Amino acid sequence: MNTEHPADAGELVGRSIRRREDAYLLRGKGQFLDDIPTPRDTVYLGFVPSPHAHARIVSIDTSEAAQLEGVVAVLSGIDIANLVLPLDSETRIDGYVNSVRHAVAVDRVRYVGESVAVVVAEDPYIVQDAMALVAVDYGVLDAVADLETALQPDAPAVHDHIPGNVSFEGTFSTAGFDAAFASAPLVLKERFRSGWVGGVPLEPRGCLATPDHTGDSVTLYTSTQIPHIVRTGIAGLVSMAESKLRVVVPEVGGGFGTKANIYPEEPVVVALARHFGRAVKWVQDRSEELLNNIHSRNHIYDLEVAYDRDGVVHAVRLDMLANAGAYTCFPFGTTLEATGGARMLLGPYRIRNYAYKTRSVMTNTGPAGAYRGVSQPTCFFAIEGVMDRIGRELGISPAEVRRRNLIRDDEFPWNNAVGVRYDTGSYRACLERALEMADYDRRRSESGKISADGKYRGIGICNFTESTGTGVRGWRARGLSRLPGYDSATIRVEPSGGVSAFISQASAGQGHLTTFAQLVADQVGARLEDVTVVEGDTALVPYGTNTVASRSAITAGGAVIRAGSKVAEKLRRLASVALGAPASTIVLRNGLAWVADAPEKSVSIESLARTAYAIGHESLPQGEEYGLEATDIYDPPMVTIANAVHIALVAVDPQDGRVAIEDYVVVHDCGRVINPMIVEGQIHGGVAQGIGEVLMEEFVYDSSGQMLNANLLEYMLPTSLDIPDIRIDHIETPTIDAIGGFKGVGESGVIGAVPAVANAVADALSGIGVNVNQIPLRPAFVHRLIREAGEKSVGN
Amino acid sequence: MEMTGEQIVPATRPVVWDALNDIDVLKECIPGCTSLERQSDGQLEGKSVLRVGPIKASFSGRVSISDVEPERGYSISGEGQGGIAGFAKGGAKVWLEDCGSDTKLTYTAKADVGGKLAQLGSRLIDSTARQLAGKFFEKFAAVVAAKSNVAEQG
Repeated sequence: MNTEHPADAGELVGRSIRRREDAYLLRGKGQFLDDIPTPRDTVYLGFVPSPHAHARIVSIDTSEAAQLEGVVAVLSGIDIANLVLPLDSETRIDGYVNSVRHAVAVDRVRYVGESVAVVVAEDPYIVQDAMALVAVDYGVLDAVADLETALQPDAPAVHDHIPGNVSFEGTFSTAGFDAAFASAPLVLKERFRSGWVGGVPLEPRGCLATPDHTGDSVTLYTSTQIPHIVRTGIAGLVSMAESKLRVVVPEVGGGFGTKANIYPEEPVVVALARHFGRAVKWVQDRSEELLNNIHSRNHIYDLEVAYDRDGVVHAVRLDMLANAGAYTCFPFGTTLEATGGARMLLGPYRIRNYAYKTRSVMTNTGPAGAYRGVSQPTCFFAIEGVMDRIGRELGISPAEVRRRNLIRDDEFPWNNAVGVRYDTGSYRACLERALEMADYDRRRSESGKISADGKYRGIGICNFTESTGTGVRGWRARGLSRLPGYDSATIRVEPSGGVSAFISQASAGQGHLTTFAQLVADQVGARLEDVTVVEGDTALVPYGTNTVASRSAITAGGAVIRAGSKVAEKLRRLASVALGAPASTIVLRNGLAWVADAPEKSVSIESLARTAYAIGHESLPQGEEYGLEATDIYDPPMVTIANAVHIALVAVDPQDGRVAIEDYVVVHDCGRVINPMIVEGQIHGGVAQGIGEVLMEEFVYDSSGQMLNANLLEYMLPTSLDIPDIRIDHIETPTIDAIGGFKGVGESGVIGAVPAVANAVADALSGIGVNVNQIPLRPAFVHRLIREAGEKSVGN
Repeated sequence: MEMTGEQIVPATRPVVWDALNDIDVLKECIPGCTSLERQSDGQLEGKSVLRVGPIKASFSGRVSISDVEPERGYSISGEGQGGIAGFAKGGAKVWLEDCGSDTKLTYTAKADVGGKLAQLGSRLIDSTARQLAGKFFEKFAAVVAAKSNVAEQG
């Protein structure tokens, strides 16, 4: 345990403090991108989309659009290329073919919705009219939208320099793998598939760039999770001094990883603000959001599992395909999902022999990137599906198969087969607690049979680890260069005793203003109401990796603890002089400093702050500097591994194939909990997204690369009516590798929900011989599976 | 998507055939048609303003006629570009049969759409396409009937 900066100072961490954000958000007073007042001279942008999935741009005639009254300019991809360099993730890893993306297509389009021209006009309505007048002559090329088709020898090449459309191939094997695989008596093979989905935030993207009145600097307001990465990236892309660009993140109406990206529109907005010397604004509409925001989860896992008659897995061989879409994304390149699925698949299991091949495949569809959970919902759909199949094969309960394969409590710290260290965990405890809460054994005895109401019922488990808070070493190990990995914080006690905390994060609705205030208050002994948390403004907060990969509590929390303890040390020294007691005996809490065994001897933090700032009559003790603040950076371990178990009980109606979730249990362990209510909120939201992913959502592309449902009538999102009550229990096993004991929880809900629900449906239909190895399980698909199973049994 | 349909036209087969090859009749019957002209190569070039769900766009395109069997039928195929609204391409086979003193017109059509049109989703697109085809042939029947009446009376 890291004892250098003990996180035991106070009493606010661990309490369900009400979210400071809710009072104004629930009153509709949140300031989202589109709520920011625009300067009078603002011009608006429209990005003209390609209707073709793959085509040469033969010519663009902008003359008619340019003549429309109110149009300032119509720019082609070549015009934009003169202002914005191609986006390059600079990913470097064995087996990777790098590629870049022009902000606006220059000579070739590679997916439907990719922009080919930019309209600049005085009014957003004129933008829409002018976009319709841009005449583009396309030379249509053969397109490939499907992952497996893209690997065929005669498939069209999405990028000429990427042979066979494979932009990344990674392989791995533990020593002596083949012998270990061969030594087990039984082998199970299965192919698991998952469809394209997206994060679909309630608020689509948008940005506003305003040049300052001197013409020197630009402020970019953008709906993003990663302001520092955006600032560094855009300064490079538009060739400007980073010091002259300020990135401000307004309220963000959902990020989920889809806003952990620099998208082409952001550098274009900045470049055009500089070019025209006017404020430039762009806001995405829903169909643009569905077409262009990163896609995720179109994966195939081919698994071969060697196991014995006790149900113990000896070796796992994986061949994984991840659809990378048409372009690299910034900062994640095209490797994120392929490396993620292959590296995280082993989860909480003591599988020592592992070999994988994993590939990223380019297709003429929207580019892939990070969506909450990255590949974990699908890799656990695969490995948890394997656990159930072993159980069915051997007649052992799925819960028992898991017990026999879990890493045991006495085996921590565990280094898994791919070299990831699990320092602590509660795998067995979470499983047993969840089984008990779900009344698993009784419920399972009713599985797979048709109930009196004509429905099949089933219960499914997902037992998983969550890879959280990736540090510098973790990103480098995955070949990524644009994400630093650390985070930072400046804690300042102001002259009158209020505390400002400037944190290198950007909240996208997670409640950072509340959770970090709890942590800061505990660290410096302040009252909660005296703490102000500032995030999401590169002019105010120190550099960091911002809000991706379930990292805020671990990385920024660590930085807050480190910076806070420096401030606290100074407060103790000042109090020691004021109270005439050794600094080590000073307690800081609730806005006061007192002597531990003589609490009547106290001084207010306000009074100590006045001394530090030389306001008042006390003089600064010798050897002390003026001011009362500290900045620190925290680079966490490679990753911090959290864990959880989800259990879903479902009813499947064979009449229409609909799946209803009747009970849902979560037992999770994210280490030390800062605010249980907010953690539960994170789980609720994640489970809801997971239910959407497993039962409803999918971007449907036809074979020519047309997305057939870029609207929310046909891209089905879950509503409150689809989400059951979720029963949650917390187990706290603090990490010992990272400061503060925190593990991440942001992605946990979705990771657990997808496999738990899929396994529950498989359990419900196990009696009639349905094999559930593909998601989403939309009613028509489930109905077909049931019908085909019926025909097969009649045929037999 | 594919569509089939039939329409009884109250006129004789030669009259219906003439109308099927009369550019003014076609122009009158094509929903939203603002221009239709025969080019030197025999192809037709035209413009139509159409509204599909939330999208209103002007489509311009070329249409060619093939497999001509006089007074029996022909195939028609074409492609229309609607700018950012997307594109539509497709074809239809039209067949004429005597039906008493009237003519039965049978058609099978196939259409593909791209861009914004495709993104509207198949429910909206399929129903709109059926509606447009229905409108065309109903109007065609009415126009031909009127012409036929005028011819008989004259």
